[in-house]
Parts: sequence; C-alpha cells; structure tokens
Amino acid sequence: MSDANIKSDRCAAGQLLDSLYLNMFHLIEAHTQCRIDIERTNSDGAILLARTKFQQGGQSISTAQIPTENSAEFNALCRVINAADDDISIERHPVDKENGYVDPLYWFSVLPPMSLRNAVDKFKRTIELIAESTNLQRELNKVLNGIGRLRQSAAL
Amino acid sequence: MLKSTIVDTRVRLRPSKKLLDLLGAQKEHLKELPANLAKVLEKNGYSIPKSTRILKDNEIVCKRPQIDVKLLDKLTANLPDVPSKVQEIDEMPEEKEEEAQTQPLTGDFLYLNDLHFLNSILIELRQKNVTNVFLYELIESCELILPENELKPRNPELEARCQRLREEQQNREYHKMTKNVDASLKHIPEDTVAYQLKSINKQIIAVAQFIFSVAAGFTFGFFGVNLMIGPLPFGFRILLGVIVALVIALAEMYFLAKKLHEYDEVLDAPKRKNKNSPKVSGVQMMQKPHVD
Repeated sequence: MSDANIKSDRCAAGQLLDSLYLNMFHLIEAHTQCRIDIERTNSDGAILLARTKFQQGGQSISTAQIPTENSAEFNALCRVINAADDDISIERHPVDKENGYVDPLYWFSVLPPMSLRNAVDKFKRTIELIAESTNLQRELNKVLNGIGRLRQSAAL
Repeated sequence: MLKSTIVDTRVRLRPSKKLLDLLGAQKEHLKELPANLAKVLEKNGYSIPKSTRILKDNEIVCKRPQIDVKLLDKLTANLPDVPSKVQEIDEMPEEKEEEAQTQPLTGDFLYLNDLHFLNSILIELRQKNVTNVFLYELIESCELILPENELKPRNPELEARCQRLREEQQNREYHKMTKNVDASLKHIPEDTVAYQLKSINKQIIAVAQFIFSVAAGFTFGFFGVNLMIGPLPFGFRILLGVIVALVIALAEMYFLAKKLHEYDEVLDAPKRKNKNSPKVSGVQMMQKPHVD
C-alpha cells in the first residue's frame, strides 16, 4: 500500500469518526429530550387520573372494575411491532367489540369523564414516546459500537 | 431529595487546554467564530483578531451528519488483525499522559453547534494542509458533561402539610370507627331535631327546584313556541310543552340524584375536626347559627 493511500484512508476514517461523534452528541440530546417528554406526559396523565378520582369520589373507582382471571378474554388494542430496519413502532387496533377488542376506558363507567379521557390520551402519547426513545437508544448503541470498533481498527 | 426535571437537554463539553491552544494557534485562519466559542476563548486569555466575524447561534448549520455505513463496515471488517491491537496498545499510554497534562478549564462549555463549527473548520484546515488534526482527537481530551437531573430537597412546608393531612385522615377514620362505641360521640349531630329539619329543608329545596324548572320548560313549550312561530293547534302545543318539560326533567333528574347522593356521603363522613374541640363534629359546627 502506498503512502498516499494510507493517508487518504486515515483521513476518511478520521472524518468518519468525527461524524460518528457528532452523531452521538445529537442522539444523546434527542434521547434526553425524549425522556423529558415521557416524564412530562406521564405526570400529566397521572395528574388527570388523580383529578378524575377527586371529582368522582374515592369509592367510585376501584380495582373491582378491572377484569380478573375469570373474566372473558379480550385482545390487546396496542402492540409493539418491528418496523423497518430494527426500529419498533406502536400498532393500534380500532375498538371492535365483536372481535374482542375492548376499550378499557369503558370498564369504569359508561360515560367516562373528560379528565379520564384526556388521561388516556396522555398515556397513549407516552407509549409512543417510549417507542421513539427505544429507537433512539438503539441507534445510539449502534453509533457507540461503531466508534469503539473504528478506534480499534488499523486505519487510525 | 427529589429529582427535578432536566432543564437543559444540551450536551456540554468542557474544553481542554489542547483544544483552546489549537484554536489560539490557528486564529488567523478563522474568519468567523460562533459567539459562545469566542466567549470561551476570550475568557481563557486568547485574544481574537478584530477581523473575526462573530456568528449568531442560528447561523451555524447544525444537522446530524450522515454516516457512511459502508465505509464503517469496510474499516472495521479487518478488526481481529493482530497489528491493529499492537498499535492500539502503543497509543493508549500517550493518551493517558495527554489527559494528565491537560487540566480541565472551569467555567464555560462548548455546545453542539460549536462542535459542528469546529468540525467544518477542521475539514477546511485539513484541505488547506494547515493542520492535520481531527475533531475526535480534540474531543478526547475534553470532558463530556451529560444532562443530569438536579436534586432538590423536599419543601418542608409541603412535608408539614402532608403530615397534617395524614393525621386528619387518620383522626377521621378513628372517629368513624368509634362513633357507635363511644356514647359521648353518638348523639351528635344526626339525632338532633334541628339537624333533621335542616336536611329535610335542603332536600325540599332541591325537589322544589326540580319542579320549578320542569314547569318553566312546559310553559316555554306551551306558550313560547306559539308566540315565536305563530298560531299552532292546541294539541300540538301541549305535545311541545310535554316534550320540553321531559327533556328538562331528565337532565334535572341526573343532577338531583347526584345531589342527594352527595348528602348521603356528607352524612357518612364527618367533616374536618377542629383541634381544640375534637369531640364536636364539623357538621354541627357548620350549622351552629341555625341551632337553637
């Protein structure tokens, strides 16, 4: 291998490592932002739940309304699926009572209060954010792995 | 201690002496500088030429760089080679020494757009063959500061309030439990005539309200619609009145049921008690002006 060749190789590797590092910083920031969003929507949802309980009175909502092992079976409305290139995403099924897709919101009352509906929306959003955060984390791991391998490689 | 939300999500980098030295040495090649970087340089005693243009934060391109995955694979494909490991071992002690030499400079930090700027500058300088330094070599000597949660002590006022509320709750439960055991608590306030009259009064008012609003609804259907649209047959007017009254009755019924239910709950749970006179129930206290 000629001298110039080695030099250009080293240069390319160096630039690659630089862009990997910059990518890593971007991913860290995006991941942090995502975690903050998760925290915020989750606490918003929790507050709305507390508000519902406050408005409805402590006795109106209890664990007795949640199905037990002996209740009829139902399907999950929301699943995690593998999307393109190793990413995960959230798939939602429309509510369909005949086929066993039950909306858990109606376990608690026929006419759910507004705050409970809003809380449900918040928690749904949280789940999507969690999926997003997981994707970012995987990408970050990939970049970190790339950095580690590149630093060991002969080109540098 | 409570963890508070992260306020600043930016990744920070404490610049090392090496980085600043390099920038100081190359300052005649720098036509422009980001505002933050210029501030850091000046604080650490590097003068900046007057001709240097200071860039605002939004002028710097800050986009995630694309990674050449093929090149990465190609470069890391021959990883298990023996010579590369030897070289790595050679390099390691040097890095350590460098880190020991460069004392961390306190104070200012570099942010992501500064690093982007540095990257573009270094690419430029390498193309001009001025220097042969890569960004990663500079970053290695710097300290990376990740965004972290701040720890906040719990507010003592809140703690005191929680404590008080817990005590009140327990007191209430205790009183409810011992109500039919302790004779001194038993007769108040539900057994007094005044209390009974009072609660009957309240319920009568609620029912009267219901009747009034239904009557008003009927009147509207019977007369109001007739006045608005013109002469209507008598039977139709009655029908209209009954329909409007029914709708109002339904709505009113819901609220009435809710209200009456609330009364039951109030009777069930004694109100908050005054600390000085724990045996006097709050319900009685509230009605004191009306009691003989």
